[in-house]
Amino acid sequence: MLTILTAAVLASLAPPPLQGETDTTFAVPAGASLSVNNFGGSIVVHGWTQNRVRVHAEHGSRGSIEASVVGSTVSLRASSRHGAPSVVDFEITVPQDMALTLSGTYTEITVDGARGPISAETVDGSIDVRGGSGIITLHSIQGSVTLADATGRIEVNSVNENVELSNVSGQIKAETTNGDVTLAGIKSASVEATTINGDVLYEGTITDGGTYVFNSHNGDMIVSVPEGANVTLSVATANGDIDPSFPLPLTATAGKHRYTFKLGSGSARMEIESFQGDIKLRRPAEIRERIQHKKDRHNQEN
Amino acid sequence: MNDQWTDRLSEYVDGELAAGERTALEAHLGSCADCRATIEDLRKVVARAKAIDDRAPKADLWPGVAKRIGAGKVFDIRSRRFSFSMPQLIAASIALIVLSGGGAWLALGSRPTQGSAVGFRADPRVRLAMSTGRTDAAIADLQEVFERNKSRLDTSTVRVVRQAFTTIDRAIAEARTALEADPGNAYLNLHLADTMRRKLELLRRVNAIAAAQS
Repeated sequence: MLTILTAAVLASLAPPPLQGETDTTFAVPAGASLSVNNFGGSIVVHGWTQNRVRVHAEHGSRGSIEASVVGSTVSLRASSRHGAPSVVDFEITVPQDMALTLSGTYTEITVDGARGPISAETVDGSIDVRGGSGIITLHSIQGSVTLADATGRIEVNSVNENVELSNVSGQIKAETTNGDVTLAGIKSASVEATTINGDVLYEGTITDGGTYVFNSHNGDMIVSVPEGANVTLSVATANGDIDPSFPLPLTATAGKHRYTFKLGSGSARMEIESFQGDIKLRRPAEIRERIQHKKDRHNQEN
Repeated sequence: MNDQWTDRLSEYVDGELAAGERTALEAHLGSCADCRATIEDLRKVVARAKAIDDRAPKADLWPGVAKRIGAGKVFDIRSRRFSFSMPQLIAASIALIVLSGGGAWLALGSRPTQGSAVGFRADPRVRLAMSTGRTDAAIADLQEVFERNKSRLDTSTVRVVRQAFTTIDRAIAEARTALEADPGNAYLNLHLADTMRRKLELLRRVNAIAAAQS
């Protein structure tokens, strides 16, 4: 299988059909994975129901695409014939369940319609993923990171931009330094969302026995607590206010900054901490309104 | 907060108090919110410690870090234990920072001795300075690596990373200021530790990216 796969991939990628452009399609066996490394440009991946990979790449006359097969992984790499790395725009269509490892330096990464594990990492560029399951890790330094319609063990982070997850389930860890973390439509028993300078917004389930940790240094925490939730809320703020929109039974205080509230059986554990910001506890409908308002405003601005 | 039970809470969490002491402490907990909160924080630290991956330390950094934190002995991970009293929370939390990068978990492999516990009974401000001083040194080591390798990164990336460092440094400074006024506060201690951990993690991540750029 490996020999056939190798031959198929290598034969199909060289020579490129057009100068400055590669456009080819090859079959892959079930379970094959794809790795793409692109120094600069973009990587756009679509999922389809065929067991074939289509690679379309625009790379200029000096650029080329190197292909290799290691184990069951097809690797594509942008390269340059004359020293300086070339800028390549990849558009790749893959079997929906194919595992993806996508990386770059000055690279925008977009995935749509995937159903398998996804790893995406870039230094300067945004990451926008719709779909995916299993282990999903998305890391950018300078770009925003968004993930929608995914399930699995999810780790998402940026450094200088916002992080946004919607309609996501599984074990979730989302983090940035300068930016907001927005989690909407979440179904999870394990969520951790942190930022240093930004707000954290959570709208999702609170599952009995679950663990939820939300932390910011300089931002507001806006967290939905569904009616009937069984949760022990440990809330701490050094300089902010605690602002619930519903009655909250105080169970204990500790020191000057930490308060504990127990709702229902208190089965789930939720820690909400912001050094400078306010902690706003809301019902889900209130949060959804806020998210919709934010989307509307964003659409108007663009 | 500092009462007769403050330095025994770790033993309670570990289930190592004699039956009579345990009963007395539990009676005390009924009326002492500070001790209850401290126990909660101790359990949190232990849980976090247990959840951390045991990644191998970077060979080029670990000797310096180990020297600074005084970790001279290698312990078997299977036997590692986590046991802290309230005054050791700062140290434990910050040790976890280094621990999360691999290596310094070794420092937590043995229980604090009575001697070390006595040492932590000093002025809380002194303890804070000692504990964060070690972490500052670990951060400084990684910052040196960043300064050496930053030329491998694009200038705009370096600028963004510096912005992030500035944000975190400001947060650390604010947490420190708050702690100076209230050195025994468990939330502030953990918040400072978490924020310093974030800086270490960012430095590690950026250094790894720089190292990968050839």
